[in-house]
Amino acid sequence: MSPLERFDELLGRPVSMRALALLRVLAGPAVLLHLEPFLSDSLDGQTYRDAFYEPYADWYPDLPEPAYIGLLWLGAVAAIAMSLGLLTRLATATTFGIVAYNVFLSTTHFHNNRAYLLIVLGVLAVAPCGRELSLDAWIRRRRGRPAPDPRAPGWPLWLLRFECAAVYGASGLSKLVDSDWFGGTVTWQRVVRAREDLDAWPLPDWAITALTDRGFHTGAAKFIVLTELFIALGLWWRGTRYLAVWVAVVFHLSIETSASVQVFSYLGIAVLVIWAVPATRDRVLRIDPAATRHRQLATAVRALDWLARFRVERGEPGSALQLVDRDGTVVSRGPAVALTFSRLPLTAWFALPTLLLPAVRRARRAEPAGMPAMGQR
Amino acid sequence: MVVVAVVAVQLALVARGYWSDHKEFAFQMFPESSTWQADVVRVTADDRRVPVSRPWAGYRWEELVQDRGLRYPSVRHHADAGIDNQLAFLDAALDWVADNTPRDRETRYLEARVTAWHNDDPATVEVMRSDVREGAG
Repeated sequence: MSPLERFDELLGRPVSMRALALLRVLAGPAVLLHLEPFLSDSLDGQTYRDAFYEPYADWYPDLPEPAYIGLLWLGAVAAIAMSLGLLTRLATATTFGIVAYNVFLSTTHFHNNRAYLLIVLGVLAVAPCGRELSLDAWIRRRRGRPAPDPRAPGWPLWLLRFECAAVYGASGLSKLVDSDWFGGTVTWQRVVRAREDLDAWPLPDWAITALTDRGFHTGAAKFIVLTELFIALGLWWRGTRYLAVWVAVVFHLSIETSASVQVFSYLGIAVLVIWAVPATRDRVLRIDPAATRHRQLATAVRALDWLARFRVERGEPGSALQLVDRDGTVVSRGPAVALTFSRLPLTAWFALPTLLLPAVRRARRAEPAGMPAMGQR
Repeated sequence: MVVVAVVAVQLALVARGYWSDHKEFAFQMFPESSTWQADVVRVTADDRRVPVSRPWAGYRWEELVQDRGLRYPSVRHHADAGIDNQLAFLDAALDWVADNTPRDRETRYLEARVTAWHNDDPATVEVMRSDVREGAG
């Protein structure tokens, strides 16, 4: 098989669309947040045409004002339907179309976070991501119709992974090649000019002195640039992926506290779910149904396992809690709890550092003889 | 085919970000610490130079130009997306105001005397003008 054929096979290989389904659910609030200022203005009868705007092209259609406002509200309704998974394909395509139309109306509408939102919506619009986590699927079940295959050709997922990495990579690269940025001038000047805001923060004097010191930024700027590049590259390899995701969350939260970036932080963190391995129910959590704590853990896993990582099974009465990982490794008791929470989207960031504990590392290395390698791929 | 095309376009847009003003889909975030300030005036048919901070013919600059940090140009601001991006917006805003103030019958054109500080470089000064309005005076 030639490299081109292998590449083509990779793009067409069916994979789980679960991560994109979850992203679809999370993208709705991002769209509402994005549309909020436009909708708020529309309630006062204001649109982009009441003040300076700059069309990208003369031929780009301007709608009459009532139609434009109606379109914005339709976009909000479509975003809600998209999140709920009601008429998912239509709702997602409508959301994408309206957000895209609005952003391209004027150069003044364009921001990096909106560009990223457009890319995410575009991928969701072409991916069959409504077969799970959707009202469509629930209605289908209620009517007794067979569930459609939740897998589909993986190319939309791979494409979005490329775009996600491109966002961090392009940002990091632009700073790397800019001597003012890489040398610390840009961050230093930004901090010094925001000195009044900095003084308002509950920071000790030594921290403020450090943050406004030119020498500090010589190192800090390099750290920022290399962090962005590490996220862009680290997401691609399994050995570094969890660390890259963890760092990316910190990175976005740091930006959110220090700058106004509209929906970028929320969207950036939400998109990280696409880096989960696109296979579902390939880990087994085995509980003792008589043990209260095991049952509580099982309940938590059922509630928080949005990426469908686990099957929860009943073990022998009196048995220890066990987690059979994807590669067949069996982990018991505390390490099993740590590993479980590290694979749930909402708890992963907190639980991932616990995997570095010696007891957990030892447990993950040791595979008891005779245990079946469940869900191995 | 779709994947290859999208990847190629994305890479091209990232490259385009190094020379274009608006840098769409180039994802150059927090690019500069540059700042700018501009004295914007209306130049009338009888050659008076009236600051746009004063309302005219029922118009106010801050109502006409509300976005992209252009509302109060006389105050020194950070250029959020870089100085080239900021000045391109200001240039376009001058034209838009000149074209969209029909009650104003005295202004020939708008002019901005812009002082820009690219990162920690020395200040540079440039003058921008809108298109000349037809029928003024």
